[in-house]
Amino acid sequence: MDWVFLSELAINGALTGLLYSLFAIGLVLIYKASSVPNLAQGGLTMVGAYVVLALARDVGMPLWLAIPLAAVIMFGLGFGIERVALRRLAGRPVIMILMLTLGLDIFLRGTTLAIWGGTSRSIELGVSYEPLFLSDLFISRIHLVGAGVALALFVAFMLFFRTRTGIKLRAIADDYMASWSVGISVERGVGLSWALASVVAVAAGVIWGEIQGVDQALSLLLLKGLTVAVLGGLDSILGAIVAGIILGVIENVGAEFIDPLVGGGSRELIVAAVLILTVMIRPHGLFGRHDIERV
Amino acid sequence: MPMQEKAQAQSILSMNSIEVLYDNVMQAIKGVSIQVPKGKMVALLGSNGAGKSTTLKAISGLLKAERGHISRGEIKFDGIDITEMLAQKRVEMGICHVIEGRRVFEHLTPDENLTAAAPMGMSRSELNVEKDKIYDYFPRLAERRNSQAGYLSGGEQQMLAIGRALVTQPSLLMLDEPSLGLAPFLVAEIFGILQKINREEGLSVLLVEQNALAALEIVSEGYLIENGRVVMHGTAEALKSNSDIQEFYLGGGESTNFHNVKHYSRRKRWLS
Amino acid sequence: MFYRISGVYHASLVSDSRMFKVPADRNLAVFLLLIGLAAPFILPSLYLNSYMLPWLIWTAAALGLNLVTGWAGQLHLGYAAVMAVGAYSAIHAVRFGVPWEIALIIGGLAASVIGSLFAFAALRVKGLYLALTTLAMQFVMDWVLTHSPTISGGSHASLQAPTLALLGQQITSDVGYYYVAFGWCALVTIFMLNLKRTGLGRALVAVREKDFAAAILGVNSFYYKILAFATSSFIAGVSGALLVATFYFLAAPEQFSVNVSIQVLAMVIVGGLGSIIGSYFGVALILLVPGLVNGLVVTASEELGMQVNVETLAHIPNAVYGALIVIILMIEPLGLGKLYGNIRDYLMVWPFDQLRK
Repeated sequence: MDWVFLSELAINGALTGLLYSLFAIGLVLIYKASSVPNLAQGGLTMVGAYVVLALARDVGMPLWLAIPLAAVIMFGLGFGIERVALRRLAGRPVIMILMLTLGLDIFLRGTTLAIWGGTSRSIELGVSYEPLFLSDLFISRIHLVGAGVALALFVAFMLFFRTRTGIKLRAIADDYMASWSVGISVERGVGLSWALASVVAVAAGVIWGEIQGVDQALSLLLLKGLTVAVLGGLDSILGAIVAGIILGVIENVGAEFIDPLVGGGSRELIVAAVLILTVMIRPHGLFGRHDIERV
Repeated sequence: MPMQEKAQAQSILSMNSIEVLYDNVMQAIKGVSIQVPKGKMVALLGSNGAGKSTTLKAISGLLKAERGHISRGEIKFDGIDITEMLAQKRVEMGICHVIEGRRVFEHLTPDENLTAAAPMGMSRSELNVEKDKIYDYFPRLAERRNSQAGYLSGGEQQMLAIGRALVTQPSLLMLDEPSLGLAPFLVAEIFGILQKINREEGLSVLLVEQNALAALEIVSEGYLIENGRVVMHGTAEALKSNSDIQEFYLGGGESTNFHNVKHYSRRKRWLS
Repeated sequence: MFYRISGVYHASLVSDSRMFKVPADRNLAVFLLLIGLAAPFILPSLYLNSYMLPWLIWTAAALGLNLVTGWAGQLHLGYAAVMAVGAYSAIHAVRFGVPWEIALIIGGLAASVIGSLFAFAALRVKGLYLALTTLAMQFVMDWVLTHSPTISGGSHASLQAPTLALLGQQITSDVGYYYVAFGWCALVTIFMLNLKRTGLGRALVAVREKDFAAAILGVNSFYYKILAFATSSFIAGVSGALLVATFYFLAAPEQFSVNVSIQVLAMVIVGGLGSIIGSYFGVALILLVPGLVNGLVVTASEELGMQVNVETLAHIPNAVYGALIVIILMIEPLGLGKLYGNIRDYLMVWPFDQLRK
């Protein structure tokens, strides 16, 4: 048993998993505040990456300016989407809301690609591609940066949820009526959650764009991001982080052993299997709330 | 009529001939008029489905959340017309509605529950002062201030719900059946605290209750609502000694046969 | 005005449970049937094959999904996977020498069996979680198809479908294909229309609304959920097989991927959950409008002399497709079927404005 190799797989898997967490955090933010599963997060991630790219390349801004500006733009976009599209369907059956977010995802992807084209481009974050060597282990630098961003966001949100606005958001997640009755604006809270999720999408888009180039494949994260979110608990940010690590490790280590048996491509299979098992065994995930309607 | 206007001027809340529809088809309130004098406690009595909760929701603006709306009449708070005002604005103005069933924020601690209700622009120190005041009124809450609110007992949750409303610094506190599901000694304790707050802070209170006995002990006047209409109005003493009320709501009277139970016909039209 | 229900009454249960309670409805349906039959003689064959044919087959498929999602209330994001099972099974059966009629049924049954697997997820969870589970199963099926050369010929290969032959007769003409599709679609439509009057239909609605309450009434939700999935999967399987046999002529994994599942779901929801005529509208909209818009953009750009990037053109249909879903759901969450119903109700009393919105 080559422990060094195994550890390498595990660590790199964990780092990749944290990148999935980046995506999942956006999903959790919205679900926490409004019980809406935002299947458009993939599309938002893509838009985020392309906006940064456009600002950096076409407008010529330096990255340290482009990224925050893109975050501001996406903040507004998220708010706008909630206000225009989601609010109308408040209270409708979840399948309609699901479909709306799916349609939104398709629309965002289609429009982005129509405007900017599908050829792959890189963001050039300035992170060197030289791998880091930790004793004998080979670690990708950019994955490390990405994992760092994910953890930083996690800490930021943990702190945010202790502030007054954060507490109000959590209150909204618990009970709309009660929130209204004490003067909390549920509408603004939900809008804020969408706006924040869109900002997270920028971070996710930039990191992923750096890793695999900004192109159509960016939106295929959905399955993996969803699995992480469900595994961790759809309304738990801590869950998103922990589940990301777990899934990343399982996926990387598992693929290494299963690929030769099935001729490759087992990653998606493993992720799908994890999703199915989670939903069947423990739908509310590791850290999620228990109030889920079970048969 | 000068008497009416004078009464309205002294009222913190003046509700005139309100009609409420749900889903555009169900008339829940068919003409209700209520005055709450400043600094007084008023009870709204009646059995299930009479329209008491709907009355409160009309005042606090929460009707919209249940697809209801006021189809006629007006509501004045401190002389200002609030009939069309947003719920959030009404809370800012000083009306707070403690909704039925306690409904605390279960995954937050009691302390966070109180923070969540803080009005915009209230500084940290002001908020702490308010919180301390509330913990003074409800010592039980102080003990449990950092556990999860969902795990509090029924009585503690009710206290939390009231305390949460108090954080918004209301001039009119409206409570929807606070005694629901609580043991009598707890009801007495909570009602006692309500009286205390009313006395010490001059807070006007509108109390909806099915437990007429307990309610009439602490209020100064009451309205009886049946089928969406006010059918009786009087001081607490008058209501307590009224034989019909005794029979229907207080357990007095000799009638034990269901068929003999009387039903109200409207005896008084208030401000048509 | 065009349509009156006054004067229509039923004096017996038998007549009240007829498929079309109002004669005008029945006449309209018969009229549409006749038009459908006569279509090959009215429309040019381009329209027949590029528009009418796929429209009918996809409607049949959408009706199947409507059964399980609209009627039984079970979210299903893996419908295309089930269609794939039907398609591949039928084709392999024919290649084995089985006549097409039997092969289609085999396809349907195979799809039914696999589709019922999805039902087991439905027995455990509902709503969003069921949607996610079916989505994951779709991915698994995608993977199986692309990684099993025996079934699909591999991820880059496609399986040639043998020529369609029914009742001993080879069908190779456009008109022939059209009638096959038309026949199948009509069959499924009649089945769905009938569903309302049967115990199965009522049971499904009960399961949709509150399955534990239904259980108390003696409606075994376990049994009916599996039945719903099995039936709709049968329809999916045959539709998938016919799709390949009459339209694609080749079976490839991309034809039944996640995107296709989402597309069929969009057709059903945009059309209106539980609405049969809505499914017709939904399929038409989703299938045809993006292409039309693309054509418009091309013509417009030619007129105006502007150069439209090829890449842009490739993605406009997607953008339109997404926008359509969002817009329709915003305007009328209950779908096009409801919109149609609203218009019909309005015309019923026009010019009197008796209907207050």
